[in-house]
Amino acid sequence: MSKMDIKHTAELSRIRLTKEELKKFTPQMEQILDSVKVLKDVDTKNVQPMKQHLPFSELREDIAGESMKQKEVLSNVKHIANGMVKVYGEVFGGIEES
Amino acid sequence: MMDSKYDVIIGLEIHVQTKTNSKMFCTCNSSYFQDEPNTHVCPVCLGLPGALPVPNKRAIEKCILMGLATNCDIDKEIHFDRKHYFYPDLPKGYQISQYGRPICSDGYVMIKSKEGKDVKIEIERIHQEEDVAKSTHHTEDGKPYSLIDYNKSGVALIEIVTKPCIRNAQDAKEYASKIRQLCRYLGISDADMEKGQMRCEPNISLQEKGKWKQEGREIFPVGDYKLNSKVEVKNIGSISAVEKSIEYEIERITKELEKGNTIEQQTRGWNADKNITEFQRSKETADDYRYMPEPDIPVIDISEEDVERIAKELVELPNEKAKRYLEIFNLSEYDIGVLTAKREVSEYFEKVVEELSRDITDLKGCAKLASNWITGTLFSISNTMNIEISEENIQIKDLVALIKTFKDNIITKNKAEELLRKALEEKKDLGNLLDEFKKTKEKSSDNLEETILEILKENEQAVNDFKGGKKESLGFLVGQVMQKTKGSADPNKVRSILEEKLNE
Repeated sequence: MSKMDIKHTAELSRIRLTKEELKKFTPQMEQILDSVKVLKDVDTKNVQPMKQHLPFSELREDIAGESMKQKEVLSNVKHIANGMVKVYGEVFGGIEES
Repeated sequence: MMDSKYDVIIGLEIHVQTKTNSKMFCTCNSSYFQDEPNTHVCPVCLGLPGALPVPNKRAIEKCILMGLATNCDIDKEIHFDRKHYFYPDLPKGYQISQYGRPICSDGYVMIKSKEGKDVKIEIERIHQEEDVAKSTHHTEDGKPYSLIDYNKSGVALIEIVTKPCIRNAQDAKEYASKIRQLCRYLGISDADMEKGQMRCEPNISLQEKGKWKQEGREIFPVGDYKLNSKVEVKNIGSISAVEKSIEYEIERITKELEKGNTIEQQTRGWNADKNITEFQRSKETADDYRYMPEPDIPVIDISEEDVERIAKELVELPNEKAKRYLEIFNLSEYDIGVLTAKREVSEYFEKVVEELSRDITDLKGCAKLASNWITGTLFSISNTMNIEISEENIQIKDLVALIKTFKDNIITKNKAEELLRKALEEKKDLGNLLDEFKKTKEKSSDNLEETILEILKENEQAVNDFKGGKKESLGFLVGQVMQKTKGSADPNKVRSILEEKLNE
């Protein structure tokens, strides 16, 4: 993993890294990836993918229930205005809303 | 644009909020419109640790229904994926969506072009996902901040993506309105663009004629031609803005290319007040969403029986209905367009025809009568009053009685329209108004002979003229009778009674 990759990953997570941090984290990340890499060596050719299946009929029926109270919803929120969550600053990178 | 050296290539992404009781992955009530902010929220919507998504069966049924209505293939398995991006409108840090395997793929809808030609708009995919929170952006002492309301977060959302096969703004508009119509016909969504229930995002590029080719969902250059980047337009709040914003972009991009400038890949926002698009941000790199399979939701198996059951909800769709109306009713294309635009109106119309045909054997005649009254008078009144054409507002049996009374020459068209207007505007019962009219009419026809005798007595000169051979006097006498009855008498009847009396 190069410095660019770490920088890109940090940007996607909206984390600003200083030059020093980038220098420090890059070998650390490489180390982590190296140790996870052993998974790649396992032969999975004849192993079925392990994912649970659910028949359509067992999905949740469309019935509305209770929600939390506004006060509860906002109980972990630092800044509140008119019942809404107030987020300061322009989120850098300006990623789109879907 | 006819002499342009460029081809226009448009693809359209449409998001539709599915009309369900609960949200996509939790039981929060999904009808949040105008409710207090952050009152339709639970740990799942907030992505709190330990909260798990549980898919809504009805929402997926409606997604499949949309796929069936647009001739898509329906997958046998449903796979959800995580689409990661970091933004306050998405507290989990990812949106649950579908990436590699959308539920519906390879479909199409047919639309009419401006020239009246049938155009096939190919749909690449329809997939199920969840909506995100509503955020509004403000500043305070020059400092930017956003306000977030999570009520919308997690509402069931389907995304419908076309291939880059649309060639002009008019077709894009027609396609968007066709999708809206299908949503409403099938009860998938109210698809009200002003309320954000339906959102259209066109992407547009211009390429030199003969220098590009389309293969499936992709556009490729021919030879060493370098493709122009595409521009995406957001913030479109109405169907007409789909057309206007694309037309604006075509003109803007053409000018840029003529100046020799390169087109930067970018997202622009439609400004409905100024009727222009405005630069929002450039897209230098491809979006990096780090998709991965959603581990919290199992693969969902859909059987053929499931799809068949859902297909039963497919009502006759507008295009098929229009074809049938032409075949069995022989109505004009315009009338058919108006009658089939809304499912409720077409159902109302068919009931009126059915009732009329109990007494009138000519089915085409019945359809023509019903169509004239509904597309003409009823539409013009309901449009000015902004009310729906429905059984609640005008009972079908009353409208049918009115039409029959008109057809039997008992009531004039003007008088009938007056009654209809009165019934709607003053919220009166049309049946009662018609009964009252008939009673007054009968009463005046009892008196008609008496009135005629009076007129004959009052106009001795005219009577003598007639008897002396001056046949024009008859017209004068008819006029006198009509004046005295204030127009309520049937002029033909007056004429025949007068002739009878004069020839005695």
